[in-house]
Amino acid sequence: MTAVGSRAALATLVSLDGMGPARLRAVLVDRTPAEALAAVLGGDAPMAPPLGTVSPRCSRELLQRWRSEARGTDPHALLDAYAVAGYGVVMFGEAAYPARLQHDPDPPLLLSIDGDLGRLSDRTVAIVGTRRCSRAGYDTAYRLGSDLAAAGVTVVSGLAAGIDAAAHRGAIDAHGAAPLAVAGTGLDVPYPRANRTLWRDVASAGALISEAPLGARADRWRFPARNRIIAAMAEVVIVVESPARGGSMHTVDEADARSIDVLAVPGPVMARNSEGTNALLHEGRGVVRDATDVLLALGSTAPVAEPVASGLTGRSASEIAVLDAFEWEAVTADQLVLRTRLDVVEVCGILDRLVAAGEVVTRSGWYERTMRA
Amino acid sequence: MLALVPSATLAGVDGLAVSVEAHVGSGLPAFTVVGLPDTSCREARDRIRAAFASSGFAFPDRRITVNLAPTGQRKAGAATDLAIAVGLLVASEALAPEAIAGVGFIGELGLDGTIHSVEGAVPLLDAVDADPVVVPLGNTIEAQVVGRQGIRSASTLRELVDALAHITPWPDLPAVPPVGDEPSCPDLADVRGQPMARFGLEIAAAGAHPLLFVGPPGSGKSMLASRLPGILPPLDEQAARRVTCIHSAAGVRLPPTGLVVRPPYRAPHHTSSRVSLIGGGTQTMRPGEASLAHRGVLFLDELGEFDAGTLDAFRQPLEDGAIRVARAHGSITLPAEFLLVAASNPCPCGWDGPQGRCRCSSHARARYLRRLSGPLLDRFDLRVTVGRPDTADLLGSDAGESSSSVRARVDAVRQLALERGFGLNGELGTDQLNLVAPLAPAAFRMLERALEAGRLTGRGLVRVRRVARTIADLRGMGTTIDEAVVAAALALRGEPFEFELAAA
Repeated sequence: MTAVGSRAALATLVSLDGMGPARLRAVLVDRTPAEALAAVLGGDAPMAPPLGTVSPRCSRELLQRWRSEARGTDPHALLDAYAVAGYGVVMFGEAAYPARLQHDPDPPLLLSIDGDLGRLSDRTVAIVGTRRCSRAGYDTAYRLGSDLAAAGVTVVSGLAAGIDAAAHRGAIDAHGAAPLAVAGTGLDVPYPRANRTLWRDVASAGALISEAPLGARADRWRFPARNRIIAAMAEVVIVVESPARGGSMHTVDEADARSIDVLAVPGPVMARNSEGTNALLHEGRGVVRDATDVLLALGSTAPVAEPVASGLTGRSASEIAVLDAFEWEAVTADQLVLRTRLDVVEVCGILDRLVAAGEVVTRSGWYERTMRA
Repeated sequence: MLALVPSATLAGVDGLAVSVEAHVGSGLPAFTVVGLPDTSCREARDRIRAAFASSGFAFPDRRITVNLAPTGQRKAGAATDLAIAVGLLVASEALAPEAIAGVGFIGELGLDGTIHSVEGAVPLLDAVDADPVVVPLGNTIEAQVVGRQGIRSASTLRELVDALAHITPWPDLPAVPPVGDEPSCPDLADVRGQPMARFGLEIAAAGAHPLLFVGPPGSGKSMLASRLPGILPPLDEQAARRVTCIHSAAGVRLPPTGLVVRPPYRAPHHTSSRVSLIGGGTQTMRPGEASLAHRGVLFLDELGEFDAGTLDAFRQPLEDGAIRVARAHGSITLPAEFLLVAASNPCPCGWDGPQGRCRCSSHARARYLRRLSGPLLDRFDLRVTVGRPDTADLLGSDAGESSSSVRARVDAVRQLALERGFGLNGELGTDQLNLVAPLAPAAFRMLERALEAGRLTGRGLVRVRRVARTIADLRGMGTTIDEAVVAAALALRGEPFEFELAAA
């Protein structure tokens, strides 16, 4: 076998089944990537102490599996596959490696890239939150994403459904600073599938990075690992909506470990989706009401352009009454009828017009007001 | 000697005329019943032997053969007991044949000679080919109400024989209580707030539209549904007789007046077996909940918890208004023309919604929705989301409208449908809709938009148009359907029924 380059050796190592950041670090203790790969191929590679947490029995089986997997892999072909698919690969320590990760306590050793990291702004803000967000949360994330991108800030997020998608979408629609997405799966495995278009759009407007090998599925453990990169890539992390536990709170922990500021968007006290964010605020974290709050936290004073008001012109009194009756909550038609004291049929007619105009969205019988107006 | 006595047996919800032929002849003492009797019918032998002894009649110690004609059909139950006993008395010459000429008998005998009431007296009485007919005391009220002239009754076999032989006069029949003592059904005035759900009920009642409530636990779905019969018009005479017949056949307790005049309300639990819901099963082919709800309301709470196969079985009655039950020993048609009302949680925990209170895993939610969705969901013209009422909203609201004033509007709409001559609005086809509910251009475009946006399916279209017709009728609008009415119909149909927020 010819001498294996460091990148090819790393690419092979990360492609092994169950090879996460912690195991990779353990395999690489006191070894160059090529040496580590040779050890794995030898099968009898003694695992370095940090892996002591994994039970020996398990690790013996794992080693066997790795050995047979590594033997069936051509490291150079593996590396070529990235290029063929149109993805860039950058290794820790190389010039193109993101500067923010250079001094990270737990950096991804090999990153695959779709798009161009060079396009990103120096100022970066991560926007994270729950996948099952409310419409108000979606709109808030969208507005923040779009205003921050317009103000020249790169918006970082994780391409999940809900808040992540809203932040990315807002950043793309603003045509401002290039967005950055950190994927939990391989770059060729869009997840969730509903976000396929968004993946392409982020890659073509900014960059999409992942430490997972090509073809990596959405394994549970990959998402916490992804969250640490999101936190590490940001100067400030904003949580828009999050329950008391969940992926967003994990991102907050990772940000804390790196002394990165965390800000939160306040929400209704009763809403489960605001339990996490309100708890963060109670701890004394900064409040985000709009992009200006974020820019101040970044130490920038650049004013944010006021969005141009659109919406329906010449609203009738009953349309205004219905919109007011929302009180910015998710409501049923029942509540609107009771609050406005209008006729059921009339309220339904108004709601239909408002939905058509995009001022209200509806989902399984609930109505929510958008910030479009 | 031979005796012929008219009686009847039950088959589904209808009676079958039976001619009891009793023969007492020479030979070794024996007592056989032939003509396909079921077990309880065959056991008449032992009951009659004891009843004879208790009443002081000599049991003929000869060869007794009882035949239940027509012999090809199964006879179930003990309703023929009395006819067999009377036949034996005549055949053994204890009673003169003239005494029972033209008299029919229905009733079950106790060992002490008491005549017990039977299930299904109404259909049995309809079937007996005789006049007058003797019925048990406990069945006389229903027997009088369904409009048959010659009703006689006696409490014991001895009393009956004495009356037949003109030794004593026939005992008086108990008086039928005056109509109007009906137990009242819950009133809509108790429901505060929930205007959409109330409107949904009103529409369902006016046009006979199947209705589904979706909402969290405690939002009052069952409470709302139980108030639907109160806003339906009372049954007309023919329907009342038919429904009484069905309830009588199923052994359901009849109202004190004997006649069911209020539309029935049946709410079977989701653990009910398929047979108990659809009917069949026993030898008598007992009607199920679907038939008991005939001309009334069938309420299925926790729709998602019902067995998929059971729900499937409801599809035939929903389309045909009747159930055909086929079993090895014959098939039968049971009437089942009901207004279907169902309730469901939006997800297993019940709290799915934009507030994010739902704690179900996405897998559990998907499985729940799969059970709910499909052809059955499509059959509901109305799919109304019911929220748990907000205290602040409730305090500001007026007391609910009473059932009687809602019923006035419902009656008017039904009258209007009658005048159009195409049946109720919930039964209109597309051609009829084009005729009686043409769309205004703006309303047409709205439906077109909804179809294009995927908010509305092709099958949903006709249902939305039916509902729109009913809404316009309730609001006293003209023939042409306008935009606001279509918007309301779309909102009440809850199209589309999606539960996931699209990512972008």
